[in-house]
Amino acid sequence: MDKKNEGKRGLDSIKSAIKDFVYGMAAHDMVTYSLRTRMHMENLFMLIIMGDMLGIPVLPPYYSLRLLPHVVPHVKTWKRTLLRDRDVTDRMFGG
Amino acid sequence: MSLKDIVERPGMKYLLFAGKGGLGKTTLSATTASYLASRGKKVIVFSTDPQASLTDVFECDLFGKGEVKLSENLYALEIDADSVVSDYQASVRKKIMDMYGEVPEEIEDYIKSASAQPAMSESATFDSMIELIMAGNYDYYIFDMMPHGHAIRFLSMASLLDVWINKVVDIRKDSQEVDERVKRISGKQLEDKEEKGILEELQDIKSRLGFMANIIGGRDLTALFYVVIPEQMAIMDTEVAIKEFRKFGIELSGIIVNQVYPEGLLSDPDVPEFLKSRVRMQQRNMETIRQKFGNLIAAKVPMMDKEPKGLEMLEKTAGIVYR
Repeated sequence: MDKKNEGKRGLDSIKSAIKDFVYGMAAHDMVTYSLRTRMHMENLFMLIIMGDMLGIPVLPPYYSLRLLPHVVPHVKTWKRTLLRDRDVTDRMFGG
Repeated sequence: MSLKDIVERPGMKYLLFAGKGGLGKTTLSATTASYLASRGKKVIVFSTDPQASLTDVFECDLFGKGEVKLSENLYALEIDADSVVSDYQASVRKKIMDMYGEVPEEIEDYIKSASAQPAMSESATFDSMIELIMAGNYDYYIFDMMPHGHAIRFLSMASLLDVWINKVVDIRKDSQEVDERVKRISGKQLEDKEEKGILEELQDIKSRLGFMANIIGGRDLTALFYVVIPEQMAIMDTEVAIKEFRKFGIELSGIIVNQVYPEGLLSDPDVPEFLKSRVRMQQRNMETIRQKFGNLIAAKVPMMDKEPKGLEMLEKTAGIVYR
């Protein structure tokens, strides 16, 4: 019985390894690229609605305040991303 | 078309009085409100001018008191934009507290600095205007607008912001598509609990602004009057205003020439030459107004011998303007 279970576990881990391998070969880059695009979109969105937090007034503050409660958790990360220094490698690899 | 015909046209609901400062917008708004109320229509007159003077015209303290009933069918509203802004600030803080249990320091700083911006009270007034109309409690809504330049910016706010909101909604929808793509490929579900809230807020702002843009731009339910006096500077201002409003797709419904001296003064031997000279100047300028604005002239309102203030005097003035 234990041997049977062990065999099943071994098969599952091989299946999972193959799945991860295929994912790594075929989809990982695509997902990373999509997540990066998503991050840029998020930054753009935050800039448009909360731009005046960084001295770039885009949206009238009345409407920014309406959206503010929904973006509170993102504000810190967003400000850090936008304000951090960018070096040559950042530019080369689009970070 | 005369002022009376435009105001009483079937379906008419929103009347806006704009013009340079000090030419009688508030008096004409109050006079029109008084006239319509006397005709059995439930009317509210609302001042969008930060230096509102409805309180003075109606001789009743209206500032920050909400919708005040002045007589049968006649109501007035003069908002205290500062207190609207602080109530709004408090509601944003409360929402953040309810959602996260605290208001982070940098968010608190942002709320304070955003509320101190001049555009804030303009937007708060605009939003109060939308709120009032959406509640739909009146037959007529009369808006005493702020002076010219501000009024153009104010009235074009709806159409400009509408375009802007559309763009933001598009960005948000694109983000959702990317989320979907990531989920399809990797099976990872990105956090979307804020996503729904943001889109709902954006859609709500969009629908309110769209509603207002239709009211301001449409001419079935709304009439926009520009008040002018027979003086060169006011005439030039009106010409500019017509062009500026047109840029935003807003057409004037009519021009009201206010404070016109009676012609009879010229033949009265007791009238001093100084006053006669002003009457002649006005007559020349009236000719210019006729040439420049022709069909747009909806009414010519005589200069009164005393300031039209208080309900009784406004009723008398209404009798002259809407005879």
